[in-house]
Amino acid sequence: MNRRKFIKNSSLASSLLLIPSFVKVFSNYITQETSYKRLVIIQLSGGNDGLNTLIPFRNDNYYRARPTIGLKKENIINLDNELGFHSSLMPLKKLYDNGYLSIINNVGYPNPNRSHFRATDIWQTASHSNQYLQSGWIGRYLDSFNQNPYAAIEIDESLSLALKGEVQNGMAIKNRFILYKSTQDPYLKNITKHYDESHLNEHNLGYLYKTMIDTESSAKYIFETSKTIAPSKEYPNHPFSNQLKTTAQFINSGLKTRVFYGSLNGFDTHVNQINTHKRLLKVYADSIEAFVKDLQSKNTFKDTLILTFSEFGRRVKQNRGNGTDHGSANSLFIIGKNLKKPGIYNKMGSLDDLDDNGDIKFEIDFRTIYATVLKKWLNVNDEIVLNQSYYQLNFI
Amino acid sequence: MTIKHIQHLYWRAGFGINPNQLQLLSIKNREQNIDELFRQSNSYNPLFINTSEFDTLTFEEFTKTNKIHRAYIEKSKLKVKELNHAWIDKISNSKEILREKMTLFWANHFVCQDRFILYIQKYNNTLRYHALGNFKDFIKDISKEPSMINYLDLKQNKIGRPNENFARELLELFTLGVGNYSEDDIKEIAKAFTGYNYDFEGDFVFKENQHNNDFKYVFGKSGHYDGDDIIDIILEQKQCARFICTKLYQYFVNTTLNENYIEDMTNIFYPNYNIESVLRYMFTQDWFYYSKNIGNKIKSPIELIAGLSHTIPVTFKETDQIINIQRMLGQMLLYPPNVAGWKGGKSWIDSNTLMIRLKLPSALLSNAKISTKEEGDFYDTYSKYYENRKGDTKIKVSANWDVFKKNFQHVKVEELQGYLLQCSINLGTQDYLNRLSKKSKEAYCVQLMSLPEYQMC
Repeated sequence: MNRRKFIKNSSLASSLLLIPSFVKVFSNYITQETSYKRLVIIQLSGGNDGLNTLIPFRNDNYYRARPTIGLKKENIINLDNELGFHSSLMPLKKLYDNGYLSIINNVGYPNPNRSHFRATDIWQTASHSNQYLQSGWIGRYLDSFNQNPYAAIEIDESLSLALKGEVQNGMAIKNRFILYKSTQDPYLKNITKHYDESHLNEHNLGYLYKTMIDTESSAKYIFETSKTIAPSKEYPNHPFSNQLKTTAQFINSGLKTRVFYGSLNGFDTHVNQINTHKRLLKVYADSIEAFVKDLQSKNTFKDTLILTFSEFGRRVKQNRGNGTDHGSANSLFIIGKNLKKPGIYNKMGSLDDLDDNGDIKFEIDFRTIYATVLKKWLNVNDEIVLNQSYYQLNFI
Repeated sequence: MTIKHIQHLYWRAGFGINPNQLQLLSIKNREQNIDELFRQSNSYNPLFINTSEFDTLTFEEFTKTNKIHRAYIEKSKLKVKELNHAWIDKISNSKEILREKMTLFWANHFVCQDRFILYIQKYNNTLRYHALGNFKDFIKDISKEPSMINYLDLKQNKIGRPNENFARELLELFTLGVGNYSEDDIKEIAKAFTGYNYDFEGDFVFKENQHNNDFKYVFGKSGHYDGDDIIDIILEQKQCARFICTKLYQYFVNTTLNENYIEDMTNIFYPNYNIESVLRYMFTQDWFYYSKNIGNKIKSPIELIAGLSHTIPVTFKETDQIINIQRMLGQMLLYPPNVAGWKGGKSWIDSNTLMIRLKLPSALLSNAKISTKEEGDFYDTYSKYYENRKGDTKIKVSANWDVFKKNFQHVKVEELQGYLLQCSINLGTQDYLNRLSKKSKEAYCVQLMSLPEYQMC
């Protein structure tokens, strides 16, 4: 083929190649299902103190282990005469009363790791404690079931391991306007416009162009879809609240994103934890309340499941600095409208029978929760994502 | 040696090469050029920042009260950021390019993090010192570094109360790789590494009374081993040399492995574990220069920044900004994501990091503008896009274009891409580049650096 003919062919090919992604986006937009299930994952980073979040206030061992930081009965929001919420969690009590909250206790995994990094990796990759996986569980969900770049979005600067697959990554978006703007750079747009896919690029370079083109079309789709809905003004002023505000805007605008990922940092409360913890839980609960209301106002709450976890709980016994050290098993919150078993899903573990480190023993493997969410909520084969079969729970 | 091959050598063993130097090297043969590369890195220049506040600090003063202690920790954290900035500058300016390249390699092999500046600075220089030396001496020193002792809980590993964190990573990440040892090996090795500690100055201290002096049974051997003995025993296994050579091959040659070449490298590396020898062997092989191994590697964020800075020296005025750029690109030196380090390759790239990579050169070099002026255009058509940009944060950086002008003095603007891009260019993109106005060498340089192709080396 001579050069002139080649250019002619390739420009035809490139214009054809660009059409499908727009058609794809467009067709998604018009065939909006009436019920589109979405999962929102929230990580309380640093290791949330579960025992001061959900307090076994009738247990003397609790007060013995925590003489100065133990929360007094009169300040606790009673749930079932055994367990009570931290006073910052009033909004969660309302969800609890409405049957929108399921609390799963003693969640962990065998041979727990107490390093933040490692424990976060274990939770995000769904690995065993002695296994190193390079892809996240949501990433592997994308690999096998949903290769749209915007199918999983993290409202942050960089992408967590949880959303990185072997072949398909989710998207990290800190600011959809800036991302959109960067893809609209005239020079970069010209590059994607001229990109010639018929010239099969070497592996890695092809991957870069694919990401660039995906980002351009996704950023445009996300920006233009989400701007059809005005953001709610009812959120607290906090970066975490903003993450949820953006998430709600995306959901309410009908964006075809299956999984959203957000995080609230600062739970590593080794010293003087009372006030810090109180403030953080308030940010969490108030933001969740605003988020749920926002979804309810557009009738999308029924199709949204919110999962809140932390990479580990904290030591039962307080330390000398009026704080707590890294522990293991912890409580996990599931929020949604149609829960099978709202309320306290299982009894909190004993404070008499702790592990060698003085931590609550785990009862429920966190991967059984992932397996349940994948199968019963996202309707996919959980074994393919988790590389093995796990027991199904019945909270949804 | 051909221009293409010299460029390849310098991109993989360093951070690129300028036309002037390239001309000088092109009249020499491969062996001469490789000799020269090692000669440049013969010397060892440690990296030190100003730590005067900590240099005379005593443990008593450091921990006088909780408040004082916390204040020192906060100051130290700032110093670690400063060290990050200084390290980037060193990578961009050092004459010992191969040593710096290998220091980066080892920092992602012996992954470690510490918020105490004196220890992490010492650690960083230990990596640099041994970068081209003997792997056996290297790993023994690493096991005695205060930052490593902290990072992998060696201090908590005592007789009767073992902590297996270090023992596990020693086998899995530092020497043999997963699947080449048993859980019992880990338990026995943890016993041997009991008693490891350090004093406040950061010098290694062996605490006899915390050491488990029992017999240890490791890989079919037994004895009253200590940590150094264990390292000798592990390194007797050829698998260790193979594991390291595999990582070197992935880093320097191709992420798609070639077992035969790796085995050849292993035979050079084993049993003496001389790092320089195996690198010299690798750079000398014909397969190192096969076209499938040229321009196929995705640059790490640090390689991207350093490479750009080799062409046009940039100086960041604010440490927080250079840190922030690294964070957005997904690689902050001294802050690894976890003990396994950065995965590298394709995992550098996601929607956000790629767009930041593509916008980075213009943000650093041309006020965030990339020209779209084509041949015959009078004005750039981009003005509308750039009209409402007032709110953007500016990166405080100075770019030394004079160096570029001098180095590229004899390079014609049309030839520029041959010096800046290592991989073959997408035909559609080439077609577009051909149409661009090439009135300004600087503008065309920024255009080329803003391409996906510039992400490759």
